[in-house]
Amino acid sequence: MISQVFILSSKGDHLIYKDFRGEAGSDVVGIFYEKVTALTGDQPPVVMSHKDLHFVHVRQGGLYWVATTTADSSPFTIIEFLNRFTALVKDYCGSLSEKSVQMNFALIYELLDEVVDYGYIQTTSSDVLKNFIQTEAVSSRPFSLFDLSNVGLFGAETQQSKVAPSSAATRPIQSSREQGGKSEIFVDVIERMSVVIGTNGVLMKADVEGEIRVKCYMPSCSEMRIGLNEEFSIGKSQLRGYGAAVRVDECSFHQAVRLDEFDSHRILRLCPSQGEQTVMQYQLSDDLPSAPPFRLFPTIERDSGGRLLMYLKLRCDLPPKSAAINVCATIPVPKGSVSLSQELSSPDQSAELKLQNRAVDWKIPRFPGGTQLSALFKLEVPGLSSASMLEVGPVGLSFELPKLTVTGLQIRFLRLSPIQPGPSQRWVRYVTHSDSYTIRI
Amino acid sequence: MLDSNKDSLKLEAMKRIVAMIARGKNASDLFPAVVKNVACKNIEVKKLVYVYLVRYAEEQQDLALLSISTFQRGLKDPNQLIRASALRVLSSIRVTIIVPIMMLAIKEAASDMSPYVRKTAAHAIPKLYSLDPEQKDQLIEVIEKLLADKTTLVAGSVVMAFEEVCPERIDLIHKNYRKLCNLLIDVEEWGQVVIINMLTRYARTQFLNPNINEGSGGDKTFYGSDEDEDEDEEEKEKNPYVMDPDHRLLLRNTKPLLQSRNAAVVMAVAQLYFHLAPKAEVGVIAKALVRLLRSHSEVQYVVLQNVATMTIKRRGMFEPYLKSFYIRSTDPTQIKVLKLEVLTNLANETNISTILREFQTYIKSMDKDFVAATIQAIGRCATNIGEVRDTCLNGLVQLLSNRDELVVAESVVVIKKLLQMQPEKHSDIIKHMAKLTDNIQVPMARASILWLIGEYCEHVPKIAPDVLRKMAKSFTNEEDIVKLQIINLAAKLYLTNSKQTKLLTQYVLNLAKYDQNYDIRDRARFIRQLIVPTEKSGALSKYAKKLFLALKPAPVLESPFKDRDHFQLGSLSHLLNAKAGGYQELPDWPEAAPDPSVRNVEVKDSVRAVGTVTFRDTGGLWDLQGPQKVEGKSDSASGSESGSGSEESGSGSESVESEEGSESEEEEEDEEEKNKKKKKKELKKPVQETLTILHLVLCLQTIAPSSALKNYELLHRITGEGLSVEYCFSRQPFSPDANMVAVQMQFTNNATSDTKNLHMEDVKLQSGMRVKEFPEIGDINVAVIKNKRSRSCSKFFVSIQPPVGELMRPIFLTENEFKKEQGQLMGMNEITEKLTLDAKCRNEHAIVQRVTTAANLSRVPCGSDKECRFAGRTVTSSSLVLVTVATKEEGAAQLTVNCEKMLIGTMLVKDILLALTQ
Repeated sequence: MISQVFILSSKGDHLIYKDFRGEAGSDVVGIFYEKVTALTGDQPPVVMSHKDLHFVHVRQGGLYWVATTTADSSPFTIIEFLNRFTALVKDYCGSLSEKSVQMNFALIYELLDEVVDYGYIQTTSSDVLKNFIQTEAVSSRPFSLFDLSNVGLFGAETQQSKVAPSSAATRPIQSSREQGGKSEIFVDVIERMSVVIGTNGVLMKADVEGEIRVKCYMPSCSEMRIGLNEEFSIGKSQLRGYGAAVRVDECSFHQAVRLDEFDSHRILRLCPSQGEQTVMQYQLSDDLPSAPPFRLFPTIERDSGGRLLMYLKLRCDLPPKSAAINVCATIPVPKGSVSLSQELSSPDQSAELKLQNRAVDWKIPRFPGGTQLSALFKLEVPGLSSASMLEVGPVGLSFELPKLTVTGLQIRFLRLSPIQPGPSQRWVRYVTHSDSYTIRI
Repeated sequence: MLDSNKDSLKLEAMKRIVAMIARGKNASDLFPAVVKNVACKNIEVKKLVYVYLVRYAEEQQDLALLSISTFQRGLKDPNQLIRASALRVLSSIRVTIIVPIMMLAIKEAASDMSPYVRKTAAHAIPKLYSLDPEQKDQLIEVIEKLLADKTTLVAGSVVMAFEEVCPERIDLIHKNYRKLCNLLIDVEEWGQVVIINMLTRYARTQFLNPNINEGSGGDKTFYGSDEDEDEDEEEKEKNPYVMDPDHRLLLRNTKPLLQSRNAAVVMAVAQLYFHLAPKAEVGVIAKALVRLLRSHSEVQYVVLQNVATMTIKRRGMFEPYLKSFYIRSTDPTQIKVLKLEVLTNLANETNISTILREFQTYIKSMDKDFVAATIQAIGRCATNIGEVRDTCLNGLVQLLSNRDELVVAESVVVIKKLLQMQPEKHSDIIKHMAKLTDNIQVPMARASILWLIGEYCEHVPKIAPDVLRKMAKSFTNEEDIVKLQIINLAAKLYLTNSKQTKLLTQYVLNLAKYDQNYDIRDRARFIRQLIVPTEKSGALSKYAKKLFLALKPAPVLESPFKDRDHFQLGSLSHLLNAKAGGYQELPDWPEAAPDPSVRNVEVKDSVRAVGTVTFRDTGGLWDLQGPQKVEGKSDSASGSESGSGSEESGSGSESVESEEGSESEEEEEDEEEKNKKKKKKELKKPVQETLTILHLVLCLQTIAPSSALKNYELLHRITGEGLSVEYCFSRQPFSPDANMVAVQMQFTNNATSDTKNLHMEDVKLQSGMRVKEFPEIGDINVAVIKNKRSRSCSKFFVSIQPPVGELMRPIFLTENEFKKEQGQLMGMNEITEKLTLDAKCRNEHAIVQRVTTAANLSRVPCGSDKECRFAGRTVTSSSLVLVTVATKEEGAAQLTVNCEKMLIGTMLVKDILLALTQ
């Protein structure tokens, strides 16, 4: 049961406010914002309470999405509802930002009205909602994209020339109905990897979570067939053939996916509804099909002048054709480090000492596969002792691998049947993000 | 603009108004102008007006009444969407005067044709209830009616209404329990959450605790894996706990929902299993919950809270997933801390070394709070697991040389707690810590060290006075908490070693006497009176030593989640660790099981209530008196009642064969029999309606036979005196035991009189050669059917003969795998036969059909069109069965069967040969 739902900008402006049950006063928004801002730390607790009222919030797109409740309802329901609601707003408005929400007040209010009735969640499926929101299609003002044209689909910058402009996928689903002609389908294979490499270079833990997302702008729903690699296998026992298998441990599908051909031909059949949906999610744990993409060879010593010398060699083990972009290595340094002098192997890299985090950030905009980069950092640490050498902690790496999936999952084909009249465009994109890539030293 | 004639202008105006509302601005003064437009034809304008009305109707009641008539008209609209939205808005207008109108509208909508409107009616119920609680009785009637509704759309909403209006009326659920369980999987996800939560509560009141018989240590469970509803009281005594079949039904039907995409559903099922399932089965939820850890951090946070509680009670459940709780550098602090909590709870003798190694790396983290929490966690591990205590202690002592004060301070505090458990052994550690007092600045840590030294001063007799001397020097600059401990230390030393420390103590006490803090002054005064012998001091000073140096019990480091489990998991109260408004305590298990028959009888009742059609049984009514005795009885009762009511129906009415099913599952033999009754009925009124009603009942419990299956006769109608029985192999996996083959039986009564109390008696497994040769045959029972009639009892001896092809289940292989497996099953295991195909069976399709009818195999994809390949596994022994049919010219063909069990192979060859040649 939800008493109120409101959306706040990060500055605390009211964007949307809707009261469903009239149980709580109207100043709750202010109370919430005070509570949120009063807290320090990277993330305020999900549930906060004020007298009898409980606030549940999530942060997405730089906005606070808050629901309040007075009764004891499952917190999961509310969190899940808020997440779904943000997804819906994203579908209907194209993107999640303060601006897009502001421009679509009426539409979001309508959505909220349909999704929640007297605090009870009715439905969040965009297929069902289509029937009700249809009348509002015109009311969503054509949403201008010019200010977003440089933002990628998932906030990721891509540097591919062949690919559609990244803003292409951030438009409201309903405008496609007006424009009519342009029907497009975007399929993204996104993987996130978390890896821990031990001090001796041994892979201690590896986890890959992947998902296939489909964003569909088809005016009419036709059937879509997504073919995955034939060698795709699930679980350890089920190895197919002798070739290099693409293996995952576990996978789950969207409920709309029909799997009659999955067992035999690894084909997913679905009728995508408009908007974005996650068709398939899969996990692979403790086993990477190839070597981990980065290795680090550190040498850390104390020089005669009492400075800390860190000589780091970073090797990228990707296939030579691919490259990692936006690589950033975070090297924790001893407390009390004062200054940093650096020798980097190429000019486009940069390094910086962040005193607040006690870490050196080494940034590499582009890192082609099969190459090796090195850096020498000299740190001025007053009162350096051998104990503080131990404080040079595990190195965290964040990066993005475009056009590559670590598991090797590929989309063989993407077919629509019946064939669409008029031009239809299909886009497929692969990307691997680092979730947490830690190298212990 | 609102007065304009043009819709577009009106629309624009309404949009602006709605935007004002959305921003939280007051737009109420426009009310009259807006209300006028409620009758507007344009649906977009109309919707926005509705939005406006719902928001402001309460403030301007009189004007709002103007719009009511429009909604009343809308309620009769042919379009279901308009009916629904009219009802929705009508019920959202919070004006007390219209309560009767709302009541009427809800009642009407509850019997609307469209399920969508009925759903809206269900949603309207809580609204009306909150507006006027006096309508409760009438609303409960509506809820009762809607609960009987069979569409999935309505189920979720009506349970929401039930929970809000009358959660205490658990009796309303009885008759709908099974239906809800069965519909559950098709209900939309938000409804699922509510229903599952409601059913959890229901099950807690209606079923017995499945873990009731378990000793504290044993993991043994006594529940039968199957339904057992033996009413015999003596039986019950012998077999202490048997799970109610309805309880089992609930568990079985919710299990697939663990795969749901919706975290709320998964959590709801998880808490249901946690609260309701027998211990041995709770494990299934662990995997699902671990999966949730991969979603948004908000969800992670709540999941971890729940997991932390669960790990305290059922540690074994999450042990296999230990690695999933390792901390990632990108996790927010609160999640890190929760993960630590879980890891600590999971730690035991076997995995402690890995966990400690993990903890060691965590200590290097930059996140201060997290490091502190890690050190605490190490402390807790050390207290819980005796073997590693020394290792932990050493590790913590090493941390004392860390440069970070926070780390050191936290370690000192933890070491203090650990040392308290066995101080004798560790005087060197205390010495080491005494040295640290010079360096550590964090007051809490200093205080801890001082306390330790004071407490165990007899272990370190030389150092203690020295420390006190140093402290006395710096006394004035210390924090209050440290000062207090200095006084304490002084007092203790004075008592044990007064020679050396008398002066020092005096000095410290004097300093304290003039301290700014009254607490310290008080303490100094108190201690001085107590320990320093003066002429005035009373009896107390004699006991000073006892007072100060009494043995203090070691602190117990326990999880903050320890006491959380009295809240229902997954609830907001659990998350907050405080009662939230409206939290309903999960009821305790009942001492004795309430009558389970309430659910049975009422299912039939509801059927009768909805279907007003009465029917007469000319063919007699079959009743199964299997293990489900109660159900059988009620069956006959309701059947005969309705039958007698229509005695005078004309003979001109249509006769229809319809089925009513009831399932009987036998537990002693672990064999499930799907029994079906066929009734011949003469129907007086619309045939279709009865059919659908009966069909629904059927769907609840039986699997409809598929036409493709071959039926075998068990009892001919002449030998069976009118009763004929057919059976077939349903080829559906038999859920209670994967190594069993399901047999579906169909009973038809062709006689003129009722046959009652049909049951199996004396079911024997066939013994002898066949069992030895084919272990699979052991699954199939040979049944004796006893047929009790009103005048006589008849017994028929029947036996079920399973063809060998039914004793396997299909498996999926690729062509390569097939070839590989075939290569391993050569020689003795391969049987090849040449044959000439039947004239009708020359094409591939026909071959595939015939082979799959003869044996339960699945086709293997194959490159050439001359060959058809099939694969399967025998049910009990899981040995591979591979069949290849290679066709040649003019109907010649070659059949190859590869099977590890040669006997099965030969029999299968015969069967398939027969199927292909005839």
